[in-house]
Amino acid sequence: MDLVTVKGLSKRYGGIVALSEATFSARAGEVHALLGENGAGKSTFIQILSGAVRHDGGSILVDGQDYRPANPDAAQARGIAAVFQELSLIPDLSVEQNIWFRHEPRTLLSTVNRAEMRRKTLALLDKYKFPALRPEQELRRLTLAERQIVEIAKGLAKDPRILILDEATSALPAREAEWLLKLTRQLAAEGRLVIFISHRMAEVRAIADRLTIFRNGSTIAVHEANAVSDNEIVTQMIGRHLDRLYPERIATATDRIALKVKGFSSGSRLSGVDFALREGEVLGVGGLQGHGQRELFQSLFGASKASGTVELWGKPVSIGNPRQALTGKDGIALVPEDRRGQGLLLTKSVRENLTLSVIKRFTENGLLSRQREAALVKEMVDFLRIKAGTPEQLAGTLSGGNQQKVIFGKMLLTQARVLLLYDPTRGVDVGTKGEIFQLMRDLAAKGYAILFHSSDMPELVHVADRVLVMRNGGIAATLEGDRISEASILRAAMLESEAA
Amino acid sequence: MSVAERPVEMAQRPVEMKPARPGIDWRGRALDRAPFLVACLMLALIVAIYGSLQSGVFSLDEINLDTAAAMTLMLAATGQTIVLVRGGIDLSIGGMISLGTVIAATRFTDDPSTVALWTLAILALGFLIGALNGLLISLLKLQPFLVTLATWSILNGVAMIILPTDGGSVPGWWVGFGYAQLFGLTSPVWMLLALLLFWWWFRATRVGVTIQATGSNEKSAFLSGVSITRVNVITYGLSGLFAAGAALYLTTQTGAGSPTIGKDYILPSVAAAVIGGVSLFGGRGHLAGTLIGAFVLTLIGNLVFVLHVSSYWQPVASGVILLLSVLASSVAEKAARNRVQ
Repeated sequence: MDLVTVKGLSKRYGGIVALSEATFSARAGEVHALLGENGAGKSTFIQILSGAVRHDGGSILVDGQDYRPANPDAAQARGIAAVFQELSLIPDLSVEQNIWFRHEPRTLLSTVNRAEMRRKTLALLDKYKFPALRPEQELRRLTLAERQIVEIAKGLAKDPRILILDEATSALPAREAEWLLKLTRQLAAEGRLVIFISHRMAEVRAIADRLTIFRNGSTIAVHEANAVSDNEIVTQMIGRHLDRLYPERIATATDRIALKVKGFSSGSRLSGVDFALREGEVLGVGGLQGHGQRELFQSLFGASKASGTVELWGKPVSIGNPRQALTGKDGIALVPEDRRGQGLLLTKSVRENLTLSVIKRFTENGLLSRQREAALVKEMVDFLRIKAGTPEQLAGTLSGGNQQKVIFGKMLLTQARVLLLYDPTRGVDVGTKGEIFQLMRDLAAKGYAILFHSSDMPELVHVADRVLVMRNGGIAATLEGDRISEASILRAAMLESEAA
Repeated sequence: MSVAERPVEMAQRPVEMKPARPGIDWRGRALDRAPFLVACLMLALIVAIYGSLQSGVFSLDEINLDTAAAMTLMLAATGQTIVLVRGGIDLSIGGMISLGTVIAATRFTDDPSTVALWTLAILALGFLIGALNGLLISLLKLQPFLVTLATWSILNGVAMIILPTDGGSVPGWWVGFGYAQLFGLTSPVWMLLALLLFWWWFRATRVGVTIQATGSNEKSAFLSGVSITRVNVITYGLSGLFAAGAALYLTTQTGAGSPTIGKDYILPSVAAAVIGGVSLFGGRGHLAGTLIGAFVLTLIGNLVFVLHVSSYWQPVASGVILLLSVLASSVAEKAARNRVQ
């Protein structure tokens, strides 16, 4: 009999459907892989299973009994533990305090029994042959890999019947990742169910008995792991998309190099990134989430530090902070990812938001020229077709798409001609998405140079002239012309990563 | 290959990720405790200056006197420390202290059983109002600063309604509690020891660890199964309880009630904790530091007095010391962070 049976599972966040009628079933004693693109609904699914989020519709049966956990505690009581990708550890507690958090052995005074806790910690670490950890060390002194291992120990400390591993290998060095894969098989052999999420196909191949593929919040297929090819899996993960959304792509790139980056590095997040962005070009930046895209954009804009050389329009520059990036016609402007947090002042008017960073342009002899400001604001509102009652309407009251247009306007008014767009269509309705893509192509035709990241792969495929695929902080592949496809991006980001 | 056929490879311990670092990391520990050590140093310095200007500073009497002067702040700051470790702040203690003193000054009679009843009532009220703060913060998802600012104002108003000006009285034997002695130490000194004992116990309980963990990283705590609402109710409830205790103690010192006195303890309670190394961002800090911070703030008053300068210098000196403490914490924090990388 199946240990877990999920039927018709649905979850909405406001207007966004995260899961719709998803199904899933798995047996005790198997390693069951869960696959899907970013945003396919995997995270929501495991958040529901682990009690962090409640589902709207559908049913979950565990051991044939209805299962609807109110919180992570209730999930644990039913024997379900999750090792989160977004770690659930407490920075100011020690390793052992974290492992036994809320399940500590206690003394008669109801204080934590430290001696007993130490004994249990060492027994646990020994049983599963954990890599060296110092139980008394404070968590915030640990590296990311060590933290991931503590998180795994914390999951196992609850002796769960169902263990969910969400990208648990992604933060681990090769040897530890290998240890975890063997551990996973060992846990299945002990009769537990392990639900395994990974973007590394070779790992899934190595340990999974079966795999379930999610796309757009629904279950697409369930396979025996040895009865399906990599290509079939990738095709099913991507599915079919409509592409009427996208403008015609006319090559407008010239030979002039707008932005040249060499040996761009920052800690372990960016390692030796080289590329050149040409005038009139839309250069896409793709890959799986968290492989250095955010760091690349932030460092180019001067919001975080990086080493290496950057040339703008043929001149070497050093950008230490965003103020230096925004130097008029030769500068760089950024559309940031967190629109409400970084890009817009929600309680200020459209006009104030547009002109905030370019106030110098309407200042004469130290005085603000209201007429010049109004003229520029009107020009921008018309050009971008921002739907606001008046320029004095508060930015916070606009729709998501119009807010994003205000940010575009703000960026264009800086006169910078190298534009960094980080996920500019996130949370934007389909109609406005189309307008934004058209705008990007129009700007490219006018000689702007655009670096464009999107978490939605089809956008890269249909809008960018070339696509850089990032992996582990470096450029894994540069795709051009006919070679740009979702499959080729995903392949460069995933399949070949075993060689790295 | 079916599940049953698949050979199981048992996990083997991978090669150590890095050479084990044997022994205790003294430098790391010193850095962690830097703000606390700085507070101790400051206290020693102030005591040294004070002692060189005034005779009889190093006596039991002086300890009794100074502890008595600092105890109201210490009680209020104990609650504040719990809230700060949770990552919040409680401004309402000002209102609760005022309200507590006016209830005591208007309701206490010479009859001990009436006093006992009202004492319990004041403590219960403190906990309930604090719990209400916690509930509002959790359920309405409001900032602790704003919620407790509002309840401070409300409690203050109620205190004014009950007793518009300083006055009322408490029985003489109640005032005597504040000066009772055992083995040469007065009751405030014993209360100080009791506070330390309480903290030593409390921070080792599951509730204590959970409050600290929630202050350290709320999302992680939630994912680990913590009920954030419950944590807030307990945290702010305890803060209200200690504020009520501070009010009761204060009446043994003043013998009367005051509808405005509480505000004098709001920011000093935060300052004492910060001077003692409690992080305003939650997750870190100990009561021992807070109590030393409370002594520092109290002794500055004594120092200003024996220096024969205007008493207005006291807040100036307190501010400078607060700045120095914050600076010490941030320098230590940076050093610690650099060590990790």
